[in-house]
Amino acid sequence: MSETRRSFLKQSVATVAAASVAGCAPGASRDSSDRPESAAGAGSAGASAMPLPGETLRAVAEAVLPAELGDRGRERAVAAFERWSDGLEPVAELAHPYLVPETRYSGPDPRPGWVAQLEGLEKECASRHGVSLSAIDMPVRRELLARPLGQAGPGMGSPANASHVAAALMSHFFASPVATDLCYRRGIGKQQCRGLDGAAAEPAALGDAP
Amino acid sequence: MSRVVESDVCIIGAGITAAMVAERLAERTSASVTVVEAGGRTASLEERSRTRARMLAYGENPYPNDHIADQTGTGEMYRQMVVGGSGMHWGGAIPRYSPEDFRLRSLYGVGFDWPISFDDLEPYYQEAEERIGAAGEQGPPDCDPRSKPYPMPPLPLSYNLARMREWTDGAGIPFWTQPWARNTRPYRGRNVCQRCDTCAVCPTGAKYTPDFAFDQLLADGRIDLVTRTLVRRLALEPGTDRIAVAQAVDRDSPDEPVEFRAGTFVLAGGHAWSSHLLLLSASNRFPDGLANRAGNVGHYMTGHWYVSGFIDLPMRLYPGIFANNSLLSHRFASPGPLDRYLRHDLRLWESDVGRAPRLRDDDGSLLWGDGIMADWRERTDSGATARIRAYYDVIPDRESRLTLDGAMKNAMGDPMPRIDFRSAQATIDLERHTHDTIQGRFEQLARAAGGSMKSTRSSRLFEHPGGGCRMGDDPATSVVDRWGRTHDHENLFVVGAPTIVSSGCANGTLTFCALSLMSAEEIAKGLATRG
Ligand SMILES: Cc1cc2nc3c(=O)[nH]c(=O)nc-3n(C[C@H](O)[C@H](O)[C@H](O)COP(=O)(O)OP(=O)(O)OC[C@H]3O[C@@H](n4cnc5c(N)ncnc54)[C@H](O)[C@@H]3O)c2cc1C
Repeated sequence: MSETRRSFLKQSVATVAAASVAGCAPGASRDSSDRPESAAGAGSAGASAMPLPGETLRAVAEAVLPAELGDRGRERAVAAFERWSDGLEPVAELAHPYLVPETRYSGPDPRPGWVAQLEGLEKECASRHGVSLSAIDMPVRRELLARPLGQAGPGMGSPANASHVAAALMSHFFASPVATDLCYRRGIGKQQCRGLDGAAAEPAALGDAP
Repeated sequence: MSRVVESDVCIIGAGITAAMVAERLAERTSASVTVVEAGGRTASLEERSRTRARMLAYGENPYPNDHIADQTGTGEMYRQMVVGGSGMHWGGAIPRYSPEDFRLRSLYGVGFDWPISFDDLEPYYQEAEERIGAAGEQGPPDCDPRSKPYPMPPLPLSYNLARMREWTDGAGIPFWTQPWARNTRPYRGRNVCQRCDTCAVCPTGAKYTPDFAFDQLLADGRIDLVTRTLVRRLALEPGTDRIAVAQAVDRDSPDEPVEFRAGTFVLAGGHAWSSHLLLLSASNRFPDGLANRAGNVGHYMTGHWYVSGFIDLPMRLYPGIFANNSLLSHRFASPGPLDRYLRHDLRLWESDVGRAPRLRDDDGSLLWGDGIMADWRERTDSGATARIRAYYDVIPDRESRLTLDGAMKNAMGDPMPRIDFRSAQATIDLERHTHDTIQGRFEQLARAAGGSMKSTRSSRLFEHPGGGCRMGDDPATSVVDRWGRTHDHENLFVVGAPTIVSSGCANGTLTFCALSLMSAEEIAKGLATRG
């Protein structure tokens, strides 16, 4: 990719659809609030980050993240996603694929599109139901979200490439070590620097509370 | 007016093979050594926690500035041009080639024999393992010959791999731990592996990367390292076949050429750039490029292919415990006299393929938080997935070539390399048999666990590539001798990957390092010993 095209993409207020067409980013994010080394370092680049409307994002999270996380767990997952989003650098140089002599870049900034989607959800709620998203029953909320998620899946993919902010939030959470531990109900601690000692043991069962 | 840098030995490239040569010469001789690297420095150890975090979060390159924008080619090539070369990014799997690799023609009537045997190389394998810091487990001696133990004990088998090894033992195929360039105890001032599972970028320094060696040599005042300086041409001493000078450009002041003058030149540019520089250095005396009187430079490019698959296992495993360790078997490296030719390794990893969270179920219905978790649990409770891969050797063809690509030039107008890998007809003829036999072995393993194959695929990417300056005793069919000395120029050596005759069925870098150390021993003969 030429430097001029790269700077153009960096500056453009790109749509999320464009991001998914560019489709450059690799595997899913692994960031999580429970991983200090990644949380500390990873969220430091995206200087021009556009904050996502927090209340709407949380209303979306209630609909798309597992209820078993509880309020605290869900809040941690949303905060981790926000930090990840703040640190996202559009059109960043990606890790080189093995034996491919080209430089690849991530897609353009998905955040303006995500902000627009969240604002759009609120507008739709207001006009159809006269209340904000957070006040709407869960089945109706999911119905509202199901339509824009029409193209998403079946796999999770990278959150930065997600066509909708709800899909990005889900991808981000389900790729995290927290989600893996929750799924297996074991302390696996994937991709955390854990030392060699515990490797041979079956991971310990998690307590009941997430 | 050129800037002139003089030394006894000039090493071109600062990858892992250069590090081997520089270290050995610095230890054994009093020669002055200059290492010239086209790239600059990338993330230091201190910076790697941060770049690792961004790689995990966003997929970003953890080694900023590790390549040169206009210095690239076509075909299977590494992008990295940086102090440490592609050895910054490498995974650090360091199996040896098998004794059979060096005698394919004599033993099986296919491919080529090397001018050296496994036994000739064995001491250098050992030395490379010591310099790098190899952690490994002795496999069955008939499959894994070695004269001394590994310098470090192996990485521990994770809970997952231990369960998998019980399964493979039951199947009657011996597997053992892959040897790795990662510390299992503090080694040469570097940390112990912390199981971060991002070996492409190791934030603790437990994985060997060549920058550690260069930093130590610089701290000891044993080498000069000239970075961001691209050698564009090697030129002869007038009227002779000796190399007099490496003509280079300092990328920070391109208008001021740099000349490296030395008694001995060592080309350690890796599999692509070594042949490329020789071809670029054509002159009246060598119109087809240096070291190319017989027309062999850039020929016999080689690598191996693989068949891989995923196996459904009826057992409970926990992917994520240690994805960057694996099991290895060389059981199929030595076919019997009546077998049809096929040599391959086997390796096994934990995997979450088919058992990762997903947004839609099998019917395509959208899932929400609890539904995703329930679907995920159902698929992880019901079994596990193992990833299996078999690297098999590909017989190189003379027309498997690196050439200069007139259609692709760097900013200075130099044509860039183009690699058109090709296998010999023998490999094509055997491909069905190869695929079916390996698939059969995968299935045999799967059945032994009461499991089944989920999927299989074949890759024709030429992995762990080498060649282009292959070694041989006959100057008519090779570029360098067994020591890496070019047949045409007594003071020019090519080391490591470009010199291999064939690429076996194992990751190649340890072999490239061992070959480089063998070259270093020969180079040292012409230099004053360290007093
Ligand atoms: C992601 C990844 C994973 C890998 N994993 C493994 C693994 O697990 N096991 C394994 O065995 N191998 C692995 N490899 C391959 C391994 O990294 C290489 O085989 C090895 O590092 C090659 O070393 P080298 O010294 O031959 O060449 P390189 O690493 O390519 O170094 C050559 C250096 O020379 C410099 N150079 C070239 N030409 C010039 C010139 N004209 N002037 C100045 N400088 C020049 C280049 O800039 C470069 O830095 C992996 C590679 C990658 C990318």
